[in-house]
Amino acid sequence: MKPECVERTRHDCLRILDGRDKELDPLRQSELVVIGGTGFVGTWIAEMVAALNDGYQFGIKLSLISRSTDQFANRLPHLANRPDIALIKSDVRQLGQFPSNADWVIHAAANPDVRTHASNPLDTASVIVDGTMSVMRTAERLGRLKKLLYLSSGLVCGTQPATASGVAENAQGAPAPDASFIYANAKRFAETLCSAARAQSRIPVLVARPFSFVGPYQSLDTPWAQTTFLSDALRGHHIRVLGDGQVVRSYLYGSDAAYWFLRILTAGQSGDVVNVGSPAGTTLQDLAQEVARNFEPSPEIMFNTAPRNAGRSAQLLPDTTHAQNDYGLSVFTPLEEAINLTAQWHRMQNTRK
Amino acid sequence: MANNREILISDPTLRDGNHAVGHQLSAEHIAAYCKAADAAGVTIVEVGHGNGLGASSLQLGESKTPDHIALTTARQNLVKSKLGIHVIPGFATIERDLKPALELGVDVVRVASHCSEADICERHISYSRSQGVGVWGCLMMSHMISPALLLEQARKMESYGAEGVVFMDSSGHFLPDDVRQRVETLVNGLSIAVGFHAHNNLGMAIGNSVAAADAGATLLDGCARGFGAGAGNAQLEVLIAVLERLGYATGVDLYKILDAADVAEELLIKEIPSIKSVSVVSGMAGVFSGFMKPVSRIAKEFNVDPRDVFFELGRRKIVAGQEDIILEVAKELAQRARKGNE
Repeated sequence: MKPECVERTRHDCLRILDGRDKELDPLRQSELVVIGGTGFVGTWIAEMVAALNDGYQFGIKLSLISRSTDQFANRLPHLANRPDIALIKSDVRQLGQFPSNADWVIHAAANPDVRTHASNPLDTASVIVDGTMSVMRTAERLGRLKKLLYLSSGLVCGTQPATASGVAENAQGAPAPDASFIYANAKRFAETLCSAARAQSRIPVLVARPFSFVGPYQSLDTPWAQTTFLSDALRGHHIRVLGDGQVVRSYLYGSDAAYWFLRILTAGQSGDVVNVGSPAGTTLQDLAQEVARNFEPSPEIMFNTAPRNAGRSAQLLPDTTHAQNDYGLSVFTPLEEAINLTAQWHRMQNTRK
Repeated sequence: MANNREILISDPTLRDGNHAVGHQLSAEHIAAYCKAADAAGVTIVEVGHGNGLGASSLQLGESKTPDHIALTTARQNLVKSKLGIHVIPGFATIERDLKPALELGVDVVRVASHCSEADICERHISYSRSQGVGVWGCLMMSHMISPALLLEQARKMESYGAEGVVFMDSSGHFLPDDVRQRVETLVNGLSIAVGFHAHNNLGMAIGNSVAAADAGATLLDGCARGFGAGAGNAQLEVLIAVLERLGYATGVDLYKILDAADVAEELLIKEIPSIKSVSVVSGMAGVFSGFMKPVSRIAKEFNVDPRDVFFELGRRKIVAGQEDIILEVAKELAQRARKGNE
């Protein structure tokens, strides 16, 4: 990791924490465990914890549990080598070694790559469902546990109704019960497991439903619109938009998301469900143009001519009223800035000295 | 009839047509036809061995023109038209075949698998996508699974990053309702474009292509004079004329595509594809059209009826790449006949 990239992500965290650190005071001198801690969300939480400890003397002890700790240590030594961060190599389904004094647990273990969902749907479901069962069984043994936050998915309510401006936490929809929606269905069932663990074992668990994110640490190999557009532009290619570009999505920046998760973990009530994402929708066409604006020469934007299926909802946005009103959360990094920061970060990371 | 709909035309004359001449198309053939297709405004011109990039081999037939020469020649002669390749993972590897092909200026990669094996396309689709070229997934022998299962496989290709999925009637088995049902299922279940590749074993290639367009497909394949495996493909110049009459916009100039078809007939095609008896049987049996020549040859060698060979291959659900089974089947039929006579 280039020093200037490390500096940039630290700056991103401190920018969010400025004037908001007090909201996270319950984390002071506590032990936080993030399961599935080496992905996009886990890495940003680690960055945020490092910023809280260095900048605000929070004294948090953080453990990151993942199957990919070796890669994490190679990729991000500035986090892996910190004395306040421990890496524990383990599959979420067999949590042998677990910090028994954990005050807070965030369960983020799942593979969000749609290619894996398509090729290995049973494995995808196993990590999510068996993994969540394993986490709940482990949580039963944690004497100091204050709260457990399960990271579900904004997809658990299925498609957004055409009449709604966003998907609310209490939306009644559901994904279709077939293999193409294995990730969403498994996440939905995992939410049910959380509810069951709360009912049976009194585990103080609440649920965050992430929508789409953007930022450093997101692999540009993943076939999502924001990563593909950035990847195309960084390689000097045309930006290829699948479809007519009128699909609407929204994107929350990595450091914003990390703060949201920590805020919901510490301030939320057991049983609560909170959407995490930006309510500000953008068409993929506008997103592509936003990405293109950050490159010189500006890449050409190409559209696939496939007509959008009129019967399919083109919009998936979170209704974040609950997060705003009850947690005081909002988008701290507007999309234009988020794209600019991400493009700069990747350019810095890829520049040879 | 006015449709106001655009149809992309992909022309595999120089790829599927290679099946019909034992993969013996020369660089001169490629240059001449590319010039003609480009002048006609064909959107994509597909070039290569019949089984695609890297497939030249003893088992599948050796190409007269190596991939790099075929692609270089095509690139030099295509100005407006995009240069496309057919890629079957296994025959084509990323490092040995795909990477050099992209460096030669390929615009569109069509990554193909048997209809139930889309998983094998993940790396090739992802790689092509990361290189900034157009990527389509192709599901071959699509009559062998139901529309619902076809959708499941197509969704895999979508998730890997394909910008469209073409389903191929590799054995010319479909009737228009079969095609319509599959296009509707795919269009309703995917966010990406749907295309159709017809074969003419039952004389339905143009009718099936029209059914596909009517049901929402936005890409159609067609070959000059139908030059392709077995009974041939949808005859491109006829397809353009029919689509024009139906009010679809293809961007292809009718006179110039008729000229291109004349060029193909004069230079490329030894024998204009026709629906021979074995082709009808191949279509009925649901066996890959490209098996026509080897089945006819081997059946003659073993003195068995090629129609029996086709129906037996169909019963065994044999697909392209399993050409060696033709020999086994012919041998068994010959033995059975001998025993029957004893």
